[in-house]
Amino acid sequence: MTVPVEWYLVLSAAVFCIGIFGILTRRNALIFLISVELMLNAANINLVAFSHFYGNATGQVFALFTIGLAAAEVAIGIGIILVLTRNFGEADVTLPTEMRW
Amino acid sequence: MVNAFDLVWLIAALPFLSFVVSVTVGRWLPKEGALPGIAATAGSLALSLWAFLTVRSSGAHYENDLYTWIDAGGFELTFGVLVDPLSSMMLVIVSLVAFLVHVFSMGYMNDDKLHREKGGFPRYYAGLGLFSASMLAFVFSSNLLMAFMFFELVGLCSWILIGFWFREEAPPSAAKKAFLVTRFGDYFFLVGVVGILVTFGTSGFADGGFPQIASHFLETGEGADHIWVPGDLDTQTWFSILGLLVLGGVIGKSAQFPLHTWLPDAMEGPTPVSALIHAATMVAAGVYLVARMFGFYAGLPTVLAIIAFIGGFTALFAASMGVVKDDIKQVLAYSTISQYGYMMLALGVGGYVAASFHLLNHAFFKALLFLGAGAVIVATHHHQDMWKLGGLKREMPVTYYTFLAGSLALAGIVPFSGFWSKDEVLYDALLIGLEQPLFLAAYAMGLLAVFLTGFYTFRMVFLTFHGEPRSEHAEHPEPLRWNTKGPLAVLGVLATVTGLLNMKPVAELIGNHDILYLENWLDSGTAANGGEWMGSLTYHHYGHLVHEVAGLHEGSPPPSAELAPIVFGAISLSLALGGALLAKSIYDVPEPERMTDRLGPVGRVVQRNYYLDEFQVWLATGVTEPVARASNTFDQGIIDGAVNATSSVSLFSGERVRRIQSGAVTNYVLVIVMSLIVFVVAVGIVGGWFL
Repeated sequence: MTVPVEWYLVLSAAVFCIGIFGILTRRNALIFLISVELMLNAANINLVAFSHFYGNATGQVFALFTIGLAAAEVAIGIGIILVLTRNFGEADVTLPTEMRW
Repeated sequence: MVNAFDLVWLIAALPFLSFVVSVTVGRWLPKEGALPGIAATAGSLALSLWAFLTVRSSGAHYENDLYTWIDAGGFELTFGVLVDPLSSMMLVIVSLVAFLVHVFSMGYMNDDKLHREKGGFPRYYAGLGLFSASMLAFVFSSNLLMAFMFFELVGLCSWILIGFWFREEAPPSAAKKAFLVTRFGDYFFLVGVVGILVTFGTSGFADGGFPQIASHFLETGEGADHIWVPGDLDTQTWFSILGLLVLGGVIGKSAQFPLHTWLPDAMEGPTPVSALIHAATMVAAGVYLVARMFGFYAGLPTVLAIIAFIGGFTALFAASMGVVKDDIKQVLAYSTISQYGYMMLALGVGGYVAASFHLLNHAFFKALLFLGAGAVIVATHHHQDMWKLGGLKREMPVTYYTFLAGSLALAGIVPFSGFWSKDEVLYDALLIGLEQPLFLAAYAMGLLAVFLTGFYTFRMVFLTFHGEPRSEHAEHPEPLRWNTKGPLAVLGVLATVTGLLNMKPVAELIGNHDILYLENWLDSGTAANGGEWMGSLTYHHYGHLVHEVAGLHEGSPPPSAELAPIVFGAISLSLALGGALLAKSIYDVPEPERMTDRLGPVGRVVQRNYYLDEFQVWLATGVTEPVARASNTFDQGIIDGAVNATSSVSLFSGERVRRIQSGAVTNYVLVIVMSLIVFVVAVGIVGGWFL
């Protein structure tokens, strides 16, 4: 028995929306990072699902790339968060608002 | 075997070398740079004579490109050498005068106590060297663009030398004036050079150059497809415009009305420099340029008439101002303007030989007069006001007799050189004037100026050398050395005898045209580079153009053709003698009076140079400045205003829009997400998903 592809898409959309919701509502930079991970993995689910659906390995290869990219992104993200905490004493993303006009 | 023609470039290179030497090591040399200058100009003189004799013996013209600095496929700009009868003659004149001026400068500058105190001799000799070099290079230029460059260099050198005593008040201002006024004319010249290059694709003077192309077209109507003409302008009109543009530079440099105002002020420079400027270099450059490209002018009747009329008017106008001046150098300055007016008059009536002849004679007698004036000035401790001189005849015999020879030549008294050339100028003008009334007016002005010339020349001679000394400096002048007397003696002899080169009235009378040496010389044109006939640079060719193409026919004078030159020569001679005798009756008395005060308001107007200086200053401050200010207001207000108004719209909206940037990342994400949702919904509505 195979799971229909629509289910995967619904799962992926749900995970992606949870990620967006996290970014829009939370202030903690660590939660931001986790939310971004969720969104990336939602995209991965899509890639793997379609790859399986079409019987083509390209999508899975791209999912691997995305995972690698996510690892790098986490490294940079945590670096930014570290600097943020050093400068502001906490990891609240609404505090640094200097980068504007 | 070394050919003289291959060394022509050295004629200009040697004085340039002396310039370099004077600038770099001049201050450590004995005489501070005078000796290299003398050696270099002597070398130039020897080479010029050699080139002259080569042209004479072989009859050869020589044209050669020394250096091509732009070659754009069929269109090239070159530095070249053109040696023909005219330029080889001019090379000899210029290098001779430059040499004598260098020698004289040793006496004038190095031996004079006051000048020694002021110093700066290396700079002076460097200026003289560069001046001579640029003029000599100008003379042998083979094309108009090269001529223009050296023309400008000559102007620069005049600025250096007129303003030589830059610590005083007047010289720098006079130098600036000379530079600016001549530059005003040169602006038109530059436009003319570009126009000629565009029109003909070449600016060469010799065969195949633009004078030949232009005259060939005007004569036969052939070759029109090689001539570029803007729009549907008539070709002859366009040529006339080009000719007038180049003439602008000539009028500035040769100090013709209305751009003559710089020249009297230029007397602020050291006197030997004035001699060089007036006799051989700067002022001569303008007239020489017209003679050089005379093949171009000869076919254009309108331009010829303008040249003749400006010339005749300037001759009279400047002579009238020379009458009332009290400064010996000022009198000479106005006489220079007047004499160059004669040359322009001659060129305007096609008297190419007469103009060259007068240029030659004038170079010698004017150099002589200026050097003589310099000798007077240095001997009397810098007194130039003729009312403070007088009676110098006894103490300074060499200066007196040479100065007298120059004055007789200037006034045009037979048999001194000026008589023969001025007479030929006037006779040529008369012949044309008998057919065309406009030229007759120019002739009449020239004739009237003869009387004034005789008057002011001898007023100067009598006031300076005759009568009783009117100051103690004039009573005991300093003795002069060989280096001032030598050049005076050489030039005195030349001013006396050069007239014999072209005694037209005598030749007509005895019917022997072989004694017209100068005319035959300027008419010779044979093999060039061992090759072709250089027919386009001969007097015959020019005469043919003036008479047939420009349509200026010669009238026949009332008496017979053999007697007419004698009759009209006698008329101008008697006018000159009349002027001289009038001057003698007024000024050759023990206690001469200042007659200028009695002239009343007319005298005042003339003494202030017809208020032309004031007029030009008014033109600058009263017209140009308000116009410039109004243009500035228009530029800043309307043009810049429109630009600023346009940009202020973006500035203002940008100022408002940037406020939505809060700096908080969350807000940006919200905007992105909302926009995406709106976009998806919009696409959905348009695509009909919700139906």
